[in-house]
Amino acid sequence: MIRIEQLKVGYHSALLSFPSIELKQGEMYALVGRNGIGKSTFLKTITGQLAPIEGIVFMNSRDIATIPFNVLPRFVSYVNARFPLVDFLSVHSFIALGRSPYTNLLGKLSSDDLDIISSVIEQLNIAHLKDRFTSELSDGERQLVAIAKAVVQQTDIIVLDEPTAFLDYANKEEVLNQLTSIAKMMNKCVIVATHDIDLVVHKGIQFLLIDETLKTGNIYDAAITKADILSTCFKSMSV
Amino acid sequence: MHQTKKHSVFIIVLLLALPFVAGVHLIVGQIDIDFSDYWNALFNFDGTNSYDIIAREIRIPRMTMAILAGASLSIAGLLMQTLFNNPLAGPYVLGINSGASLFVAFSIMTGIPFFTSTLGITANALIGAFVFGLIILFFSRFLRAQISLLLVGLMLGSFTSALVSIAQTVSQADELKVYTLWALGSLQKVEFQHLMPILGVFMVGIVLTFFVAKSLNILVIGEENAKLLGVNIKRARLFIIALTALFTGLITAFCGPIAFVGLAVPNLVRMILKTQSHVTLIISSALVGAIFILLCDICIQLIEPHFLIPINIFTSLIGAPFVVFIILKKLR
Repeated sequence: MIRIEQLKVGYHSALLSFPSIELKQGEMYALVGRNGIGKSTFLKTITGQLAPIEGIVFMNSRDIATIPFNVLPRFVSYVNARFPLVDFLSVHSFIALGRSPYTNLLGKLSSDDLDIISSVIEQLNIAHLKDRFTSELSDGERQLVAIAKAVVQQTDIIVLDEPTAFLDYANKEEVLNQLTSIAKMMNKCVIVATHDIDLVVHKGIQFLLIDETLKTGNIYDAAITKADILSTCFKSMSV
Repeated sequence: MHQTKKHSVFIIVLLLALPFVAGVHLIVGQIDIDFSDYWNALFNFDGTNSYDIIAREIRIPRMTMAILAGASLSIAGLLMQTLFNNPLAGPYVLGINSGASLFVAFSIMTGIPFFTSTLGITANALIGAFVFGLIILFFSRFLRAQISLLLVGLMLGSFTSALVSIAQTVSQADELKVYTLWALGSLQKVEFQHLMPILGVFMVGIVLTFFVAKSLNILVIGEENAKLLGVNIKRARLFIIALTALFTGLITAFCGPIAFVGLAVPNLVRMILKTQSHVTLIISSALVGAIFILLCDICIQLIEPHFLIPINIFTSLIGAPFVVFIILKKLR
């Protein structure tokens, strides 16, 4: 669970502000907003990569600023927009890196770690990929593999920056469905930045919309319509 | 997990090959020295039998240094390649041993007697390697393209050799002689009494390297992602550079610069094993590096009666074309 209190995010000055809101376990939130408005900055702030300009982020009721950097990966996992391109890194080894916050100084995987990795691989239907190299995957497969790495990290909160950006229609659906089921079935709090409004509206997914003119973010429930989303996030567009 | 099995087989084969190649290295010299001489040289040495002396003062140190140089430089190269996320990184191309040379040159030229001693030279080589490691680390923060870092390393090397040349023109004859002899470098200059301390430092380096293996495994996916998995990036960078400097400085201090081994061997190992597991890569690179230098030095000894090739020249002959091959394959 993430609780935000009067948060202002930005690099030097505040780009966006948020009232006090709570992002709950068992829910998926689609973060929607205009390009360049500060979505990534917000995501970096709630994952502890960037200090807030003002306000506090609570992660499971703990002030994120008080969580040491090496403990933070047990609270939140983050999936980057870009997938790292590495030679000779197998899918299994890549996903296994998600266990590294729990392994000892030498990084040896325990049998528990291996069980967790196997079950997540099963759950995401990517068993056929596990011996492939990550450099040989398609864009859709990459996203599922990156999600698997985030899930084996066993954090309550999973944050993804535009995981559907480079995917075809079918893969966008697959990724969003997997994320929704991860949120519901595994009781996670999943936050996804996305521009695929049509695919997230009326799917039981909550919204975190960024108002284009007010530069503020707020929560809207799953009943919101596409027209409402557009009129909040893209006011300058004549709908 | 047949992949892991393949790696174990590879390492076992190398472990068996190493003593064999080392044995060949001991017997290819121009004077025939048999096993009993080696036995006496190690466990029964009284300094009267000239064969025993050759075994103890020439053959054993040369073989040991070949192994340590190959292993050290290969590990240093592996560490730098992963740290900088650059297949063409290595202690020689990035000018780490130029740092060692510069510090040794300047300290010898000061004329202070301590700096011409083995301990003085070694200390300065280690410090110089570390300082230049930090310089490269500093520049790496600003460079995006992989090739840029190599160009900076190249410039660092040229700049350093210019400084060393200036220092040479203004130095006294005695000091110049000490430096020139050191800078020539070879596997043959190490005395038997220095082997144990060198081996000790090497072992400490190896043990510490295993403690950064986990960070290296994570660094492969980039520093930003590694940070998100709880890696203390600043500390890891410093620690890896310090280890690189330790391995490079140690070998440069005793054997002079040896080119391309650090660059070529880890690439070769990665191509064969197709893995990013650094425990496997560290062990394999060390073993392949050791065997590679032993083989080079065996060739050198075989052609020695006809003409003398320094080890640095020999590794360049083989290493440079291999590096071009890597460029063609990876950086096109």
